[in-house]
Amino acid sequence: MKRLLIVSILLFAVILSAKTLTVIGPWAGPEMEKFMPVLQEFEKQTGIKIEYKIYRAEDLANLLPAQFAAKKAPGDVIFMWASFIREYGQRGHILPLNGVIDESKYLPGALDAVKVGNQLYGAAYTGKVKPGFWYRKSFFEKYNLTPPRTWDEFVELLEKIKRIPNIKAPIASGDGVGWPLSDVTEHFLITFGGPELQLDLIEGKVRWDSNLVMKGMSRLVTLLKNKYFGEPTEWTLVLKQWWNGDYALYFMGSWITGMVDDPNDLGVFALPGAAGVVFGADYAFVPKYTQYPEEAKKLIAWLCGPEGQAMQVKQGGHIATAVGIDLSVYPPVDREVAKIVQGVTVLPDLDDSIGGEFQPAFWDQLKLLWVAPDRLSEVIKALQEKAPKK
Amino acid sequence: MKARTKYVAFFLLPAFTLIAVFVVYPVARTVTLSFFNESGKFVGFANYVRVLSSREIINVEGFRRGFPLGALVHNLLWIAIHLPVTLSLGLLLAVLLKNVRGGSIIKSIIFLGMVMPMIVGGVMINFIFDRNLGIFNAFIKLFGVQPKTWTAHPDTALLSLISGSVWLWTGFSTVLYSAGLETIPKDLYEAAQLDGASPFKIFTKITVPMLRPITIVVITMTLLWELKVFDIVYVATMGGPGGASNVLALQMYLYAFRAMDFNRSAVVAVLMTVSTLLVSLPLLRTLKEDQT
Repeated sequence: MKRLLIVSILLFAVILSAKTLTVIGPWAGPEMEKFMPVLQEFEKQTGIKIEYKIYRAEDLANLLPAQFAAKKAPGDVIFMWASFIREYGQRGHILPLNGVIDESKYLPGALDAVKVGNQLYGAAYTGKVKPGFWYRKSFFEKYNLTPPRTWDEFVELLEKIKRIPNIKAPIASGDGVGWPLSDVTEHFLITFGGPELQLDLIEGKVRWDSNLVMKGMSRLVTLLKNKYFGEPTEWTLVLKQWWNGDYALYFMGSWITGMVDDPNDLGVFALPGAAGVVFGADYAFVPKYTQYPEEAKKLIAWLCGPEGQAMQVKQGGHIATAVGIDLSVYPPVDREVAKIVQGVTVLPDLDDSIGGEFQPAFWDQLKLLWVAPDRLSEVIKALQEKAPKK
Repeated sequence: MKARTKYVAFFLLPAFTLIAVFVVYPVARTVTLSFFNESGKFVGFANYVRVLSSREIINVEGFRRGFPLGALVHNLLWIAIHLPVTLSLGLLLAVLLKNVRGGSIIKSIIFLGMVMPMIVGGVMINFIFDRNLGIFNAFIKLFGVQPKTWTAHPDTALLSLISGSVWLWTGFSTVLYSAGLETIPKDLYEAAQLDGASPFKIFTKITVPMLRPITIVVITMTLLWELKVFDIVYVATMGGPGGASNVLALQMYLYAFRAMDFNRSAVVAVLMTVSTLLVSLPLLRTLKEDQT
């Protein structure tokens, strides 16, 4: 009886002392299934329990400010936009990760978006590249199409595709919240305005009505006016339509490799002349109000370190931000995408980096541009109003 | 008597405390916020001028070029279109279904729109007007009209939302009018029929005037809904494209939670409250006069 009592007390003490970290991320469905093994491996190695909760960044943007004001946080490690991490880090709601994350072990610039001066408020997990227009190799073979090497060839290709019977439009336009349109627009800006333009727009050093911006925007508008882009449709729905052959091309991030039936049938090309590519890292932070700061830092160091990242990229759809991850770890399609990153300037996502009022305005104005390309000047004016100013 | 007053005060105290904490304080704080800037400096009506002169609230250029016209104007359009349509449709359905066998089942089906959470309603509106999935496109295709995603175009986004909301909201007025019709004495109709009055005359001279109190309730509730409409706009279009279907409540949300500008958000909140009071108070007074 006495022994049973002691065992019960010990068991109770163990239960009480067991720490459970809450990780909040945006991944659900197949994406979550690929993330869970990484968390489970950490649990196995450290004995620290983890609970994973799904929240979209858009919802967290509403929830976290109120939680922070009440000195609370819904999780111990939270994945969120870089702009948000910077802003709330400066306001003192986020634990600095200096000493936890070794910056020299990441791709150059990968952590810039979550740094303020010398303070590092976030860590970069794996990320996704937005390399260009994806196509099905089998579709291109069927219609004898080839990826373009010049702008003229690109337009010729679109014209050729437009003439294929039953095609809705050459390029599928993802929509829903609005970010798919912003991704393709950024690609045009980088290609025709240069990689530096993306950084200058983020910093507010360049106006939206400047020649550099207009150079990229007018090329995009030409394509929109010629109906080479389809009508904006919810992005996962249009993904299926594109895969079924309703569209020939789809501008999307590298996560697409984990969302199609046969990733080996995928091909991708950037706009001819693109010297930069957007790398959207998944940034995570530890809120100041976590109950377990040391354990949370331990988790973030492991997740964002080479071991956690290697486990994630192995499963497809992700590209490492940590250096030294061997290309052989990647599935074949992702390996090709990882190679693309090596040859060009890696850039942060424009609207994710600016955040705030600009982001929803950018998404919304692009929706307008897509259906009314003749209203470009109006769109540019609205964007300039919301853009950061140096 | 004095002891009774004390008891009354004692029992009312918790309610008053809750009202003070959860109603009076937030309202006072919101009004105060609207007169201060981000650094807490009193700026008078500067925030009001800034908000009311912004293109998001009133877009003068839009009157020449087309949508967007600004959130405030869009709310007025909601009132101008949604109110008369739901009101007359509700009345018409209530009258038509009054003596129909199974009419109550049909009314219950119509009322389902009200039971549905408006967030779901927003998703449904998106589906209805979608180019590929929408029943609306399937219908108009029969008449040779080119399909499109109606919520994705600036000139049709707001009207799509309003018509979707008519579908969701008509059940409310139908049910209320149906209940009102039951209260009209049958003798009035019989007397009118004996006098040889036409169905139209009976409708305009008996039904409509006798339903006046119900009409006031329906108008008040519908107007309040139109002034504070948020959820279906948020879900279906997020106020787009290019702000073409934006409304005041959504703009208030964007100022507060995306721009983190609580002062401008407070201005919109005050404007919404004032307009709601301006609309509802006279109507409620009329209702009270009718009852006395």
